[in-house]
This record gives sequence, structure tokens and C-alpha cells, in this order.
Amino acid sequence: MIWKNFYSSGENAYESLLYSHNTLPVNYKRDKRFTMENKEKNFVSAVIYVHNAEKRIESFLRAVIRTMEDNFEHSEIICVNDSSEDDSISIIKEVSSEAENTSISVINMSYFHGRELAMNAGMDLAIGDYVFEFDNTTLDFDPVVIMQVYRTALDGFDIVSASPDRRERFTSRLFYGIFDRFSGRTYGMTTESFRILSRRVVNRISSMSKNALYRKAMYVNSGLKTGNIKYPVSGKKREPEDKKEKRYRSRLAADSLILFTELGYRFSIAMTMLMMFMSLFVIAYTVITYFTSNPVEGWTTTILFLSVSFFGLFGILTVIIKYLQLLVDMVFKRKHYSYESVEKLK
Amino acid sequence: MATERFDKVIIGAGLYGLYAALFCCRKGQKVAVLDCENEPFKRATYVNQARVHQGYHYPRSISTAMKSAEYFERFNRDFDFCINREFDQIYATSARYSWTDGKQFREFCKAAGIPWEELNPDNYFRSGMCDGAFRTREYTYDALILRDHFLDELNSFQNAVRLELGARISGIERTGDSYIINTENKGSFESGYILNAAYAGTNQILDMAGFEKFRIKYELCEIILCDVNEALKATGFTVMDGPFFSIMPFGKTGLHSLTSVTFTPHAVSTDPVPTFPCQKLSNGNCSRTRLGNCNECPVRPRTAFPYMSGLAGKYLLDDYEFNYRQSLFSMKPVLTSSEIDDSRPTLIRRYSTGPTFVGVLSGKINTVYDLEEFL
Repeated sequence: MIWKNFYSSGENAYESLLYSHNTLPVNYKRDKRFTMENKEKNFVSAVIYVHNAEKRIESFLRAVIRTMEDNFEHSEIICVNDSSEDDSISIIKEVSSEAENTSISVINMSYFHGRELAMNAGMDLAIGDYVFEFDNTTLDFDPVVIMQVYRTALDGFDIVSASPDRRERFTSRLFYGIFDRFSGRTYGMTTESFRILSRRVVNRISSMSKNALYRKAMYVNSGLKTGNIKYPVSGKKREPEDKKEKRYRSRLAADSLILFTELGYRFSIAMTMLMMFMSLFVIAYTVITYFTSNPVEGWTTTILFLSVSFFGLFGILTVIIKYLQLLVDMVFKRKHYSYESVEKLK
Repeated sequence: MATERFDKVIIGAGLYGLYAALFCCRKGQKVAVLDCENEPFKRATYVNQARVHQGYHYPRSISTAMKSAEYFERFNRDFDFCINREFDQIYATSARYSWTDGKQFREFCKAAGIPWEELNPDNYFRSGMCDGAFRTREYTYDALILRDHFLDELNSFQNAVRLELGARISGIERTGDSYIINTENKGSFESGYILNAAYAGTNQILDMAGFEKFRIKYELCEIILCDVNEALKATGFTVMDGPFFSIMPFGKTGLHSLTSVTFTPHAVSTDPVPTFPCQKLSNGNCSRTRLGNCNECPVRPRTAFPYMSGLAGKYLLDDYEFNYRQSLFSMKPVLTSSEIDDSRPTLIRRYSTGPTFVGVLSGKINTVYDLEEFL
């Protein structure tokens, strides 16, 4: 990154830079805005997914702002408002006015896009060297976990996620189980509350595919080093998602399984094999019956014809399913998002 | 102090003010130019991207584009000595968040009749970041060379022109067929013709004269001057059309200016006259009635360089390097009607005749010729 050069000679370079403005009769040391604490020099972005979160967003956003301002010299927060119908947006504006040195923006999506596309929109706007992705606004972790995740990333992990230290929901376990079983490789994904990504991952993902249907799978596909931190669940329980989001999530689960795993293909292959085997069995049975007993006239030809036809039909179906899978793949890659406006709040 | 009479009194010693002064001197008129700064060209004429526009910047406002193109040749001919042509000006459309894509930009150039050459975005930008890149014909002017030229020219009309710097205007009165402009420290100026070319201060002047104000909002803007490496030296980049950035040569200074749509404005005032919380801390240098110089202000904002460079670094290949040199701040008035199409019309209004009061508001350097028919 180019602007890192800016800091390469350490803090003093930054100070002399401040003084190198025209003559400024201000005592920087005394001025609170210029005091140099031991803050991180990396520029971080935090992208927060917001959908009907009026009850949770206030404390959540406040915690993120505080973490960013206390720990980083330069940061930005991007709230992706996925067409909330409640008061979320006015609460965000209110809390934003308390921010002192972080930049806060809101992306208002034109209509409900769902978490994946909405977060993509946020990621595209983010400029940080590291980008936090907060997939939901439930503050069930201690804010210090955010910095733990960041420090783990500095230790050489391109992707570090944070997961609640509790038993996953049955449906989640089922999903991730099927995912790993049928993807032909070990993703090792779990339920995650948030994660951090290095700029390398973000760049690699954007050059891999314009539209990732399911970000988590794409991140693992990027082939860069990943880490995970389990945190003890504190405070609030996760609120149930609203109906729209619930429906979106189950559809996403189905889509992801179809797109990223061979579940659909393998299932149809298995079924075809089974049916082909049954057709063969029926053919054999028909032939045997023809010679051993005396079937009604025409039965043998009818059954033989049907069995052979089915045998061929299932073969054709397999080919069609393969084609369909390819088509779905290509259509999804072209899918795009549309946003209404980008507001800079702070 | 005595009241002196002039054929024209011009408020504001920026490009528009000095151009008008020189134009009138050449017609044999006696002119006074008033400015609160102690030097001409201390604000917007100097503190901006220094583009000599040919219209590329306005893909959503073909009227602004064609207007710019119209005067492009003339400005470059008239002020050839201050123009830097020695670089590739590359416009690109961002693949994301842009209101205009590569194809639309091409069509726009065609429609506006301005030259372009299509380039491969991957040669300049990170993969996938831009969906179109174009080499364009756009230059940059050097404001300080231009200022010296105007001062030299005006110098040959010494008896006809009075350049009154550091003048603090305290009131504007109308008496019969003339206006009298009173100042706190430089006496009074009487004329049958007033030109208000105070740009960011324009509404404050109109307020004093009791005329309807322009519908503008104010943005406190930062332009960053950068040292750049060889790879970037002879290249300017402008990424369109939305929350993006531009890094391009700053006149003939050898430095590049870095600006971004999101981070260049530090504070916004939507009041008819500029109203900012920092004015209270300016030791009386700046107020709602008299705008101070943001660039010399003790409480000017902290630089947004980390943000702007982060944004530029997200797009540009690592071959292009730039480092912070200096920040320039100034107040920019933005017409509130032009937010949707991002147009920058040059507004010239005649508020009264006999005596005449004319106000001009323009964000572009090469539409200065529009003034002529009003002088």
C-alpha cells in the first residue's frame, strides 16, 4: 500500500508532517486532537450489516465506534442498511454524531438484498488495509474480542473469524456438515459473528468472482490462511431474526449447497444409478419370465420397451442436470446489487 | 476617509475579479478591485484541482461539458504560459458505485465531441476495480504564474486600476445612480457598476447589499499536495463517477494534487451564509459575515491524507507512489440545485441596473469569458 510509506519512518515523521503545514500557532501537544497515543497505524474499516435492528444497533454501534477510536488512528465505519423498516437509520445518525475521529457512512440499499449482497456492497466501499465484517448486530461478545481478532490477523492470518463458544444450532450443524461432506474438501466453517479480512483477501475475492453467492465459502476458497477465535457468550442472547431474514437464510443455505457443493449433482447421480440398476433388473426379470412362465401376450415387449426407455431417460436427465448446474453457476456470477444512496455522516 | 469614484468596482481578487478588471481597463475604464486578502488568488483560484476543463468531468451534465469544451481552446491559447500539458490525463470509471460506466462514458465523450482514447484499465488499476480507462485531453493551470501575469498586465494600467488588498468591507449603500462601498480601513468607493466576484463570500456581499442570495451550501475542502515517483510524474488519474478520487499534476509545481469526493469536504454548512463551529475558534478571523482564509486558519482541520491515500491505493497499482507534502484548505460554495446531475453552471445575475449590480458564481476557471457580455 502506498500510504504506508507515509508512516514508514515512524511516529516522528507524522509529527514533523503536522508541523510542516504553514505556520500554525497551535500547540499540538496540548491540543487533544493531535496527542499521539500508541494507536494502531493500520487503516481499518468496519462494515456492519443492519436490517431492522433498532433494538440492538445503538449499543452495538457505540461499542464499535469506541473500539475503533480507542485503538486505531484512522478508521471508518460503514453501515449497510438493508432496507430497514424501523428506526435503525435515525438511531445510527444519532449515535454517529458522538463519533470524534472515525468516519461513518451509511449505504442505503434500494430494497431487501439479504446479507450476502448487502455486505458485498459494503466491502466494495471499504478502503481499509483490514476490513471487519459484522454480519449481525447482536453484541453477545466483549468488545475486546474485536481487538483479539485484529491481533490474530497481524500474526499472519488473512481471515480471522470470531464464533460464540456455545453449541451451534442443530440446523447450522446440519448445514455445515452437509457442506463439508459434499464439497470435496474441508471448509471447517462454523457459525461466525464477525470476522476480519486483510486487503489481500478482499482483492483476491474481487478478482476471483464478481459476485460471491456465499462469502464465507469464497473466503475459504481464496486459499489464504484462516483463523478462528471462540469467545464466551456474554450479555444478550441473540434475537430471533425477522421473517424476511429467516426465509432469506434458508434459501441461501439451499443455494449455497447447490452452488458450492456437489450435493444436487451427487444426489441425482445416485438416484439415476439406482433407477438404471432397477431398469436393468426389470429387463432381466422380464427376460426370465418370458422363458420360464407364459406371460400375457405383449407384456414382455411393453415392459422391455419401458425399462430400456427409462434407462435412457435417466441417463439424459443426468446430462441435463449437469447443464443446469453450469447455467445456475453462470447466472449467479452475473447477479448484481443496486443501492439507493451513500451518505457520509461523519 | 474620502470617497473615490470609479467606473467599476469589483469585489474579489480571484481570476474572475482580475479578468474583469483587466478587461475593463483595456476599454479605458477606471476600476477598483477590493479583496480582504493581502494578495490576489489566495483562495479558490489557487486552492482547487487546477483543471482546465474540457468537460470530461461532467458525464451526467452534457450542458456543463459542452460549455467547458467551448472555452477550452481559447483559455489554453490566451494563457498558454501557465498551462501544463506535459502529462497523460487518464479518466477511469469505477466498476462499483459509479453512476457512469465505461461504455456510457465513451458515448458521453462522443456526444460532447471531446477526444478520448480507450485504454486497458488493468495497465493502471488493480484488477476488477475499473471498467473503463480513457486517455483524455485535459490540462492543468498554474495559478501563481497566472496571478503574476495578471499583476504584470494590470501594472501597465497603473492610473486606471486600484487594487485594494486587505480591504474589510463594512457596508454597501445605494445613492441615486451609484453604489457606495464602505470599508473599515480603506475608505469608500463609489461606482455605477459593482461586480461581485467573491465566490465563497458572495452571499455575504449580497446580504450586505440586500439582494437575494444564491442557493448554495458550503464545503470546507482540502486539497493535498503530494510528491510522486517517476511512474506517476507524467500521469494524472481521475476515477469517476461517484465517491472516488483524483490525483493529477498541480499546475507546473511538479507536485500532484490529491482529492476525493468523500474526504475532501471536511465540514458542510447549509446556511445561506457560511456558518461553521470552527469560526468561534478563529480568533475573529472568520465569521458568518466575513469568511476568513481557511488555509491560514489556526483551527483548520486535520488532514484526511490517510483516508484519501487509502482510497487511491485501493485503485492504483503499486507502481504509482505518492507522499504527503502539504494541505491546502478553502471554502467551496456548491449550488444546491446541481447535486443530482453534478453540473457546475456559471451563474451571472444582474440584480439592478442604473446603478448596476452584477454577481457571478462559477466553479470553473475557463468559463471566465462568460463575464464579458456583462462588463
